[in-house]
Amino acid sequence: MSILVIEDEPKTGDYLQRGLAESGFAVRLVRNGRDGLAIAFDDDNAIDLIVLDVMLPRMDGWQVLEALRANPATAQMPVLFLTARDEVHDRVRGLELGADDYLVKPFAFAELVARIRTLLRRGPVREDALIRIADLEIDVFRRRVRRGAVTIPLTAQEFALLHLLAQREGQVLSRSLIASHVWDMNFDSDTNVIDAAVRRLRRKIDDPFEPKLIHTRRGMGYVCEVQPAAAA
Amino acid sequence: MKGRLRHSLALRIGVMFVLVVALAAAGLGTYLYRAFVAEIERRDDIQLLGKLRQVQILLGRPGAADLLHDRPEFFRDTMSGQENSLVRFVAADGAVLADINASGERYPVPPSAGPAPQRSAIAGWTSRAGDPGRVVAGSARLDGSQVTVVVARAYGERSAMFAGYRARIAAAAAVSALAAALLAALVLRRGLRPLRVVAEHAALVRPGTLAQRLAVEGAPSELLPLIDAFNEMLARLQEGYARLSGFSADLAHEFRTPVANLLGQSQVMLAQTRTAADYEQLIASNIEELERLARMIDSMLFLARAGQDEVVLARQPRDALDELRKMADFFESMAEERGLRVTCAGEGTVLADPALLRRALANLLSNAVRHADAGSTIALRASQGAGVTELSVANDGTPVAPAHLAHLFERFYRADSARSDAQGSTGLGLSIVRAIMDLHGGSAAVHADGARICFTLAFPDR
Repeated sequence: MSILVIEDEPKTGDYLQRGLAESGFAVRLVRNGRDGLAIAFDDDNAIDLIVLDVMLPRMDGWQVLEALRANPATAQMPVLFLTARDEVHDRVRGLELGADDYLVKPFAFAELVARIRTLLRRGPVREDALIRIADLEIDVFRRRVRRGAVTIPLTAQEFALLHLLAQREGQVLSRSLIASHVWDMNFDSDTNVIDAAVRRLRRKIDDPFEPKLIHTRRGMGYVCEVQPAAAA
Repeated sequence: MKGRLRHSLALRIGVMFVLVVALAAAGLGTYLYRAFVAEIERRDDIQLLGKLRQVQILLGRPGAADLLHDRPEFFRDTMSGQENSLVRFVAADGAVLADINASGERYPVPPSAGPAPQRSAIAGWTSRAGDPGRVVAGSARLDGSQVTVVVARAYGERSAMFAGYRARIAAAAAVSALAAALLAALVLRRGLRPLRVVAEHAALVRPGTLAQRLAVEGAPSELLPLIDAFNEMLARLQEGYARLSGFSADLAHEFRTPVANLLGQSQVMLAQTRTAADYEQLIASNIEELERLARMIDSMLFLARAGQDEVVLARQPRDALDELRKMADFFESMAEERGLRVTCAGEGTVLADPALLRRALANLLSNAVRHADAGSTIALRASQGAGVTELSVANDGTPVAPAHLAHLFERFYRADSARSDAQGSTGLGLSIVRAIMDLHGGSAAVHADGARICFTLAFPDR
């Protein structure tokens, strides 16, 4: 998947390019709107999604967005805009101009990756009725969880949390994304709440078993996956 | 300029004052003039009657008939200084016996009022020159036969006198109005001096001089409410200003600690070559500090916007107990780790913006979980009152001194400065709760009873 990042702030541009590349995307980085449009309009580049900063020199993000939407080649291209000003009218304006999503700076990098995956609808979200990771088995409809032969009773909340992590196996999920998906809390709340919930889930799912499945990514969030034995 | 004049208090009072004086002077003048005129007329009438009486007596004398026939002017002259008197003698058969009327005036002849006419028998007429005249008729006996005596008079000199008198009264009224205007200007200038003093003082108020107050001593009692209100306003401004500048200072201090940590630990780490694990440790620690800073910035922006009413509310009726249960569910794991139990009770419908309601409740619960005694119970309660739905969060913890209670909702206020744990708390949680309640037109309150501290949110039902 190819992502075009249009961002003039040097550090932001650099870390976006690096981070997205490491998350498995092909990334093109440009520092101004004109160059960005040139690349987006060129079919050879096969851009799948644009990450667009609103505050750009000369041609700002809004103008870039309008130009993208006006051109049939890019009218349907998903655009995620980044802004440091989260005034309501800014957000409304962006969405009206046809942006698909927005993030307010500062944001968690994992959050950005999650949004990008959602927009591309290619995120490895498993809608399966039965999810298997190592010896973990989640029966989504019956809400039953087993590791090997052992059935593990979970509360509704624990199940929702495990299901979210397992559906996105291998993806780092930020705390705010977890709070939003599991509890519908869409604001930066006490992060200790998520940590405590994950710890409790781990006690049931991981502590008595091997291999460990739920891992902490310090400063990022949580991920559910089988890690190589060397790292354990 | 026109607006200034119209709104000038001194001018308005001055004009009213002058009007009152002019009206009073004119009224008094008119009254005196009327009384004077009435008196003069009364005296003239009495004189007219006296003259008639005199003629009647003269006619009663022997030889009066001859005298009337030969020297009629004798009758007129008898009344010295009354040359203008007109006298006419009419016999019973209507024949005019004599008519003393040098100027040839025509006047009506009223019916005879007998031998002794009263003032009421006098009739008015108008002379050829347009002056008012009076006429009276009475009966007399002349040589045994009945005659009618008519006496009349025109009062030309009297009209002139009255006109002069009227002019003087008008002049006097005008002069007194003018004097009143001058006096009013002078008096008002002096009388309104305290107002100007207040204005001069008020003009000196600057952000740095908010501690000053307008002097109450010597101020007239009418101005006291204004001065008091002004001083109270100054007090409120001073408080708000102090809080704002205190807030900026607090903000700088609050930012200082995480920034110092970031700088310090990064510099120490870079001073030597470390293992990859060390670097990882540093970056993770930096992220924690940065996340805290980000949360603080987010909270600050929220407070700034809420303070300017820029937050758009999407109010919906929500089941209060349902919302409490959701919140209890969210905090369950964290509470469990600290050996806390969270209970929900009560009922009611709360009209609120769901996202903001949750944010407020989450801040209260996060606060409660952090400060509750291990093993205690956090009680969430909903209750429907008259026109208001109350949601409360109560927990047992280290007692908070009453002096601190009132300040708990202030930004960066911490009852126990040592308790500002680096994790989580931004010191803004409770002020955000209050801001959210203000947005809803409700209120946030706290009361403590020993170790039990209870925060109550009151949402109005409409």
